[in-house]
Amino acid sequence: MGTSRLRSLWAIMYYLGFIPMLRNPLFIPFVFSSPFTLLFILFVASGGTALPFGIAGALTMVTTELGLFVGTDLASYKIQNKFQDIVVASPVSPLVYMFGVALSELIFGTPALLVLFGLMAWHGASLVTVAITMGVVALLWVTTTSIGFFFSAYAPSTQNAFIINGFIATLLSVLPPVYYSVSKLPPVVVPLAEILPTTEASSLFQGALGLGYSITPVFSFAVLFVAAAFLLLLVSFKMKWRET
Amino acid sequence: MIALEAVNLTKRYKHSRQPALDELSLEIEGGQIFTLLGRNGAGKTTFLRIASTQLMPTSGSVTVLGLDVVKYAGQIRQRIAVTPQDAETIYPLTARDHIMLSLRMRGMEKVAAVQKTQAAIEALELADVADMNTDWLSGGLKQRVIVAMAIATDAELIFLDEPSIGLDPLNRRRVWDQLARMKRDGKTIVLTTHYMDEAEALSDRLVIINKGKVVAQGTPQSVKESFTKRSIRVEVGGTFSEKDLEPYGRVLTVAGRYRVLTDAAGAKSLGEEAVARGVSIAISPVSLDDVFVDIVGEAEKGEEDGN
Repeated sequence: MGTSRLRSLWAIMYYLGFIPMLRNPLFIPFVFSSPFTLLFILFVASGGTALPFGIAGALTMVTTELGLFVGTDLASYKIQNKFQDIVVASPVSPLVYMFGVALSELIFGTPALLVLFGLMAWHGASLVTVAITMGVVALLWVTTTSIGFFFSAYAPSTQNAFIINGFIATLLSVLPPVYYSVSKLPPVVVPLAEILPTTEASSLFQGALGLGYSITPVFSFAVLFVAAAFLLLLVSFKMKWRET
Repeated sequence: MIALEAVNLTKRYKHSRQPALDELSLEIEGGQIFTLLGRNGAGKTTFLRIASTQLMPTSGSVTVLGLDVVKYAGQIRQRIAVTPQDAETIYPLTARDHIMLSLRMRGMEKVAAVQKTQAAIEALELADVADMNTDWLSGGLKQRVIVAMAIATDAELIFLDEPSIGLDPLNRRRVWDQLARMKRDGKTIVLTTHYMDEAEALSDRLVIINKGKVVAQGTPQSVKESFTKRSIRVEVGGTFSEKDLEPYGRVLTVAGRYRVLTDAAGAKSLGEEAVARGVSIAISPVSLDDVFVDIVGEAEKGEEDGN
């Protein structure tokens, strides 16, 4: 990536991520609210024993929401602000723009992710384990960001994008075995849960937190890699940069 | 040098029976201000979006700065900038942030971007509000910020889709001054507007588009002069009915009064009839506004008759 592209990427991240976060820190609790509420409920209801499940679930949910919110941002920049029109008719490449918007969203989630990594370390996870967990977060982020990109391209309005992405976030990170073990599910729905990247990510987090892997780690990584690659490809074919 | 050329450009949207652009051809000289006029839905924005590489044409060709918009979009994008219609500022960025974002994302170095941002702020008289959250600004100020984002880029060719919408007369003139300055600097400006006075004051050349077709083009003066058969406007009140006036020329109703576009002979005989009736009339040369209404009205009437 050339210097000019790096400048573009930095500008998009800085003006759409850093500046809004610094000027309006109220955005940060918004990222914290749902995942940490569920974590808190689990912690209190279990008398503290389910805290690792809460951490694994919150990590999965924060990452999923950060990815999907990119879709809401893109829809807003495209439909409401018409900022995307300005970008399309400029030297900024689609890849730089989308990566920049995705990273700007990730900036909002950084405090939440740091707290969760801190909780992992406090719970006894080694630095290597935390580093591997960061890799899993990155894979899941690519996957959910691609889903966000995909739906933003077809959203007829900003409100529509917000509702769709909120609904998908619940489907991916609340219902499946994200805050609990996959072994708690009736066997008939286990295969369905196991094709979801969020289930696999959470299983890896649960393993890293000493809860044992409810799914073979190799299988989990394979599902995450395939989902990330497939969705990235899908987005690259289906994203509408120049409209037809 | 030709900055933009469209040949038989056609655009059909999926769910529309009528083409948005119908074999439209036009040429834009470099270093000029070129205006597209037309009713809402005439095809102005579609043309601008195709020429600025945002939208694919259905058929025909457009070359911008000598490059085909379909094949060489990447190269064209290095040399153009746009102000989209109805663009909104981004919360919670300031006016300065918006202009800096526009320049920095194009790869400009920070020092140069800071200087150009300051110049654009001063040129569009945004200094007092430059560091305020744009959400707190009036609609007119926000629009100036959006225009400043394009102007600051120093692009060779700038597309402005209704840049002065929502601006008061003073602010419109501030934008006009900047467009005139850019023209003096050798830039080419393509804009759409609904304001005839703006088109008349700014344009070197203009086209009137109706239902995707060019119905008139030339300099503002030549477009007016080409309608010599109706070069005089007569404002009529009193006892005249529309039917009484039809034999004299084209009759328009403006704010409850009749306006007749006619030639010298028609104006003379209508004046005599008014004197006979004891009715006051006002005679003046036609404006671009009259010509626009006349041309577009005539084109639509022709289509209705054809149906």
